[in-house]
Amino acid sequence: MIQANGGALDEGTSRTTPLVGALNGLKVLDASGWSGQYCGKMFSDLGAEVILVEPHGGSSVRRDGPFLDNKPHIERSLPFAYFNAGKRSIGLNLDSLEGRDIFKRLVARADLLIESEKPGVMASRGLDFASLSASAPQLVMTSITPFGQSGPFAQYDSEDIVTLALGGLLYLGGYPETEPIAAYGNQACLAASQFAAVASMIALHAGVASNAPSGRHIDVSIQECVVLAMENAVQFFDLEGTVRKRNAGHQRQAGMGVFPCADGQVYFMAGGIASNRFWDGSVQWLLDEGVAGAEKLKAPEWKQAAYLATDEAKKLFASIFTPFCRTRTKAQLYAEGQARRLPICPISTPRDLLDNRQLAYRNYFTSLDHNWSGRALTVPGSPYQFSETPWRMQGPAPRLGEHTSDILSELSIAPERQSVLLKAGVIQ
Amino acid sequence: MSTSMKPLSGVRVADFTWIGAGSFTTKLLADFGADVIKIESASRLDTLRDGAPFKDGIRGVNRSGYFADRNSSKRSVTIDMKQPAGQALARKLIAQSDVVANNFTPGTMEKFGLGYEAVRAIRDDIVYVSMSMQGSSGPEYKYLGYGLTIGALTAMQYLSGQPDREPAGTGTNFPDHIPNPCHAAFAILAALRHRRRTGQGQYIDIAQTEPMISLLGPAVMQWTANSEVTERRGNQHVAGSPHGVYPCAGEDRWIAISAITLSAWRGLVQVLGLSDLAADVRLLHADARWERRHQIGEAIADATRSWDADELMDTLQAAGVAAGVVRDAAAIVTRDPQLQARHHWVRLQHPEMGESVYNAPAFRMSGAEIGPYSPAPLLGQHTDEVCQDVLGMTKDEIAALTEAGVLR
Repeated sequence: MIQANGGALDEGTSRTTPLVGALNGLKVLDASGWSGQYCGKMFSDLGAEVILVEPHGGSSVRRDGPFLDNKPHIERSLPFAYFNAGKRSIGLNLDSLEGRDIFKRLVARADLLIESEKPGVMASRGLDFASLSASAPQLVMTSITPFGQSGPFAQYDSEDIVTLALGGLLYLGGYPETEPIAAYGNQACLAASQFAAVASMIALHAGVASNAPSGRHIDVSIQECVVLAMENAVQFFDLEGTVRKRNAGHQRQAGMGVFPCADGQVYFMAGGIASNRFWDGSVQWLLDEGVAGAEKLKAPEWKQAAYLATDEAKKLFASIFTPFCRTRTKAQLYAEGQARRLPICPISTPRDLLDNRQLAYRNYFTSLDHNWSGRALTVPGSPYQFSETPWRMQGPAPRLGEHTSDILSELSIAPERQSVLLKAGVIQ
Repeated sequence: MSTSMKPLSGVRVADFTWIGAGSFTTKLLADFGADVIKIESASRLDTLRDGAPFKDGIRGVNRSGYFADRNSSKRSVTIDMKQPAGQALARKLIAQSDVVANNFTPGTMEKFGLGYEAVRAIRDDIVYVSMSMQGSSGPEYKYLGYGLTIGALTAMQYLSGQPDREPAGTGTNFPDHIPNPCHAAFAILAALRHRRRTGQGQYIDIAQTEPMISLLGPAVMQWTANSEVTERRGNQHVAGSPHGVYPCAGEDRWIAISAITLSAWRGLVQVLGLSDLAADVRLLHADARWERRHQIGEAIADATRSWDADELMDTLQAAGVAAGVVRDAAAIVTRDPQLQARHHWVRLQHPEMGESVYNAPAFRMSGAEIGPYSPAPLLGQHTDEVCQDVLGMTKDEIAALTEAGVLR
């Protein structure tokens, strides 16, 4: 039996020890920004102890909205609250000698360091992998940069949209008539966070499995992470010499695309993907509903890819399907189509997600306390359910420097010395 | 000092995944040294084997480039899972495996007698991962779909595009390529750590909708905390201007530029020769640049139109402006100096396709020999090899099962 929260139910037996996450006991230093903080969250939510190392003034993510109650403030950033849940925060100036010293002592106790400085910056501070691993041989250091540590673009400036562009995904997004349109939500940075998490786990695995714990440096390129989202576009060029283009606002082939309905839109794939497996079922649906013109869709040419690609077929399909579609809501079309085993889905709004009964059944959304406001916020929960080792946010995101003093005390730095360091601008 | 090694050597995966998200999950493990054995069936083909593009445009089960890229470094065995003898072989393979992975509709593995409880009886410490579209139970667990419909269902599509046009999404089956494979691979590796420390295996249930929504936390919270629905904003995703995609010389050539800091703004107007804007002292203020972002955007587009995109990128970067050419597939494979310097494109010799291009992993790792080590397997290429080396079968036993149509 699997509980929605990921805990296991052993019927007839009772556990004497609380369930712990799969990464319980791992120590992680997260000195990153947008491109690494979700990586840190993935570790934290599986039980690792994650310390967020924030620069003077706080993590740059604190300056990105939306903000709670639409009041911009570094303690009200919703992205920050979400991506840093369960971490502890130390404000530490890595451009000071004292800050570097403290950082090295934290590294000595860590299994994993995540950082996202421009190539060369950590080395200029004496905090590159070679220097750190000399006194921390166990360390896995994961460096996330827009283009990687080496190569002609290594020092180029970037933003999420720049790596989406150079990574080839941007060209595939948007409408043929307008400029390419980027995916919502810093997906290039988040892709890097996800690959960084996988890479870090592979390196940690290798360190233990090789029976001779050895540190490793991981060099993640955001551009290369984005390239992996290009689907089959690279192979279409390599094997068939064709360049895939963006196609939003139009059916990909007749019967496949976005269609307007009574309260929004649905995505329908009347035939399925690159095949006509579902076509007969889709046509039968329309016939059963008495849709005018549906008979026409029974003609043999609708099983031919070449015909489905024509404007004539797309126009004809839309002229038959759209009037029917407009009489139904997203929810009705989803339920009726899926009851017939057809690939149709609502184009959900963020609001719709909270009403999705499947997600509700799985207890997907969860509550996250927000330190500054005292409120409890509903946020996405577990992206995976483990039968034995629960996923769990360990607590709210920290306030800037909330745990600085605690962490320094754990390093046996006495309060008096801490006050000197605060005054000197080393800690925050 | 670490010596070069395959980081996941010693991990064996009985891989029942197919199509997109599942196959990419196990590729992430295979390209780092796990022995991923893909259990296939000639009668129920992985539909990606039949998915374009094909080498030279000629259809064939061993000719799909899409399949090839997603299945590098794996071995393929063909077993008829509908026959009891086929299921018995699968059980023998599982007994020699650390991980069992599938992305079928719930109930399919159970039909093969390979549900979690049955597999656990074979190997108690197995890490068993299922990644169906909507999870293993619930009112809609049997609903079907693809990456495209998952993108729609999760709000990713709604959020991406122009505000006054229909939702655009990413133009791809995005959840198949990044969110689902990365989360699944991470979960498997975390479960292997737990097993190493406790001897305990476990069941991991992934709904392919959920990792995607987990990446949309801020949009979810904009609704739950602020009661506002995040709407599409084209390319204006950040609170700052200018930030967008602008035309360059040639057909369908574009550049992405983000110049929201003062120093980047100065670099931008200087490179583009926008003297009127440069002389306007009000535009030294970030909030004024935001107020007039539409006018600024038009002025930039007028100026970039005559530039070669690569030359403009290099010139802007030299002036401290974040800029990147919008690469299409041709440019990204043949003309991106950064990807070339990083050896991102790997050309592998495939027995039927000849030489074709594969993605290297998105990251490098010191002290590690990383893949792709070998091209995608032919359908059933390693059936005999796996039966002998992993299952300890004799040639006669293999011949008998081949004769009976169990291995095909």
